[in-house]
Amino acid sequence: MNPLILTIILMTVFLGTMIVMASSHWLMIWIGFEMNLLAIIPILMKKYSPRAMEASTKYFLTQATASMLLMMAIIINLMHSGQWTITKVFNPTASIIMTLALAMKLGLTPFHFWVPEVTQGISLTSGLILLTWQKLAPMSILYQISPSINLNILLTMAVLSILVGGWGGLNQTQLRKIMAYSSIAHMGWMTAILVYNPTLTMLNMLIYIMMTLTMFMLFIHSSSTTTLSLSHTWNKAPLITTLILITLLSMGGLPPLSGFMPKWMIIQELTKNSSIILPTLMAIMALLNLYFYTRLTYSTSLTMFPSTNNMKMKWQFETKQITLLPPLIIASSLLLPLTPMLSILD
Amino acid sequence: MLKIIIPTIMLMPLTWLSKKNMIWINTTTYSLLISLISLSLLNQPNNNSLNFSLMFFSDPLSAPLLVLTTWLLPLMLMASQHHLSKEPLIRKKLYITMLAMLQTFLIMTFTATELISFYILFEATLVPTLIIITRWGKQTERLNAGLYFLFYTLVGSLPLLVALISIQNLTGSLNFLLIQYWNQALPDSWSNIFLWLACMMAFMVKMPLYGLHLWLPKAHVEAPIAGSMVLAAILLKLGGYGMLRITMMLNPQTNFMAYPFLMLSLWGMIMTSSICLRQTDLKSLIAYSSVSHMALVIVAVLIQTPWSYMGATALMIAHGLTSSMLFCLANSNYERTHSRTMILARGLQTLLPLMAAWWLLASLTNLALPPSINLIGELFVVMSSFSWSNITIILMGANITITALYSLYMLITTQRGKYTHHINSIKPSFTRENALMALHMTPLLLLSLNPKIILGFTY
Repeated sequence: MNPLILTIILMTVFLGTMIVMASSHWLMIWIGFEMNLLAIIPILMKKYSPRAMEASTKYFLTQATASMLLMMAIIINLMHSGQWTITKVFNPTASIIMTLALAMKLGLTPFHFWVPEVTQGISLTSGLILLTWQKLAPMSILYQISPSINLNILLTMAVLSILVGGWGGLNQTQLRKIMAYSSIAHMGWMTAILVYNPTLTMLNMLIYIMMTLTMFMLFIHSSSTTTLSLSHTWNKAPLITTLILITLLSMGGLPPLSGFMPKWMIIQELTKNSSIILPTLMAIMALLNLYFYTRLTYSTSLTMFPSTNNMKMKWQFETKQITLLPPLIIASSLLLPLTPMLSILD
Repeated sequence: MLKIIIPTIMLMPLTWLSKKNMIWINTTTYSLLISLISLSLLNQPNNNSLNFSLMFFSDPLSAPLLVLTTWLLPLMLMASQHHLSKEPLIRKKLYITMLAMLQTFLIMTFTATELISFYILFEATLVPTLIIITRWGKQTERLNAGLYFLFYTLVGSLPLLVALISIQNLTGSLNFLLIQYWNQALPDSWSNIFLWLACMMAFMVKMPLYGLHLWLPKAHVEAPIAGSMVLAAILLKLGGYGMLRITMMLNPQTNFMAYPFLMLSLWGMIMTSSICLRQTDLKSLIAYSSVSHMALVIVAVLIQTPWSYMGATALMIAHGLTSSMLFCLANSNYERTHSRTMILARGLQTLLPLMAAWWLLASLTNLALPPSINLIGELFVVMSSFSWSNITIILMGANITITALYSLYMLITTQRGKYTHHINSIKPSFTRENALMALHMTPLLLLSLNPKIILGFTY
């Protein structure tokens, strides 16, 4: 793509999200979402193919529906409260419709069906933007209306997302679908704690974004989109296999890596609010996630996966640039000792 | 405690910066020095614990386990030298780094005061062990073994996290030093029954309890020698140590909640000992014998009498040294014949007589011969379980008999008789191997002169 056009489009995506996060007028928020949606469609279609077109169409349809639902909720809120300011949404109907609309944007169950298919149809870099940057805007709105969200709906969606994210990823070998299901599960964790302590939602979002960025960077480096091609990494760059191991185990939530921190904090907050069965169930369902991450590490780092002989001396035409990988690796694996610093967020 | 932890962390830069011909020497020497430092902790003057800081302490229960952990690292390094000799340098360094990382986490686990810190480090020991089993094991079954190991332990311990946090809500702090004095009886309710279960299941899986023991034969058999040694000697004892610490908070539910687990342990120790008699795989035999000995520890911890606690602690230390030594002996067989089948390496006494002496000593301590500390542990457990209920003497006596049976079966099959005709040329015992066995046996025999240091905090 022409670099100038690409810059303009990326800036529009950025601006859309910024408008959503910084506005206090509901109409501006809706405008921000639409701007974001329209600008990201060319990004999703960067490598033109019928599959990419299908993925962009699916993305556009679901996100547009969600924006329309959001508009309806805004109008109902306007009708009942007479103002456009984004605050606690007092009308329960408007609040429920808004929650469902934002869940559709994020990819929570039962609106999760678009996530694996869209992520699979696009290139790795576009998938990266889809799974990290696009989650910021809806999550910021959820954060702002969190005092008024119906707890039952949100918790049901969260727990079902964790279950679907874990179960759905079990049969996958395509890396982008694995990352999509992992995103569904992590969104579930984030929204489960939203009503009790929204700060932890932001913490979980931050750590999730860092880990997903790391994973995608490592995939881009080895240009691999399937488990099989990832398993050739030990031939080309053995150090990458160690980094993949550490990041995957961190995503699975194993102590002492930093992926354990959001899970631990969320379980702590939920238990302090006297729900004991829920965090136990969530924690055990997160083990499904860990299973397919571990399976991925088995084929990549922990075994020397069988490959044909000419894989060992593979031509490497250009060194891929992986932006910011060292700090991302540190952030996605070693942040656990910094947990007491969370007290500054109060 | 930092005087032990920081040198152990520093073992990792030591391996990466050593020259090719010095890595084994450097790491083994420095880890031996670290174990000498930890010996000073065995001096526990009064009935209290030695508190070094708010985060680390050492207690008559954790000090012997700590000394065992630090003693075992040089032994693991010595045992691994042969099977790693053909690997590239970076992989050797990675292996030693994994062992040092595991050692750090283990030391911090045994000395942690805050129970959540104990939990995090308890889980953290899983990652290096998984990497050691899966990356450096030899058969294809190791993948399955790693998965079983990881998931059995995690499913057991995630409820423990929730339980610890809810206890923290109830009592305000999980610092172990405080809880000893604040301890109150748990009220009788359904949710407290689940709390008891959530707290104990993690350690039951780790011990392992008879019904949940499937991960152990897989993991022990597929792990390389250092992995087997650390699994058998220390990681199982993490479960015992955790149980000993946490049962303090769980009264009076333990009085009735313990019954199913006591039944499972009593039955399980007979079952697993009997399975040992039918094993063809040498490492599998030693793994099942570990399950059997640990079942005794579970019985001792759940009975909660002063004598049984003494027996549990002594048995943990004794079994750690004995089991690790048996794995080293099995490994010396494996390195020569590349097979774990017992009958393929028979009659070794005629070929390797000094190793036969070590086999004899290891088997004798495994069957709890007086005056070894294995006997002290088992005897205390048998006596306290007899006082708890007279009928258990039948099962305990049967277990001691069957333990003797399979230990002697293992000894006679591998050592006595005519050697096989296909052992044409096996290398004689290396000095390294003899030193390894001596370093296992010497603490075991010396401790029988002064067993009070391993008898724990109820002495």
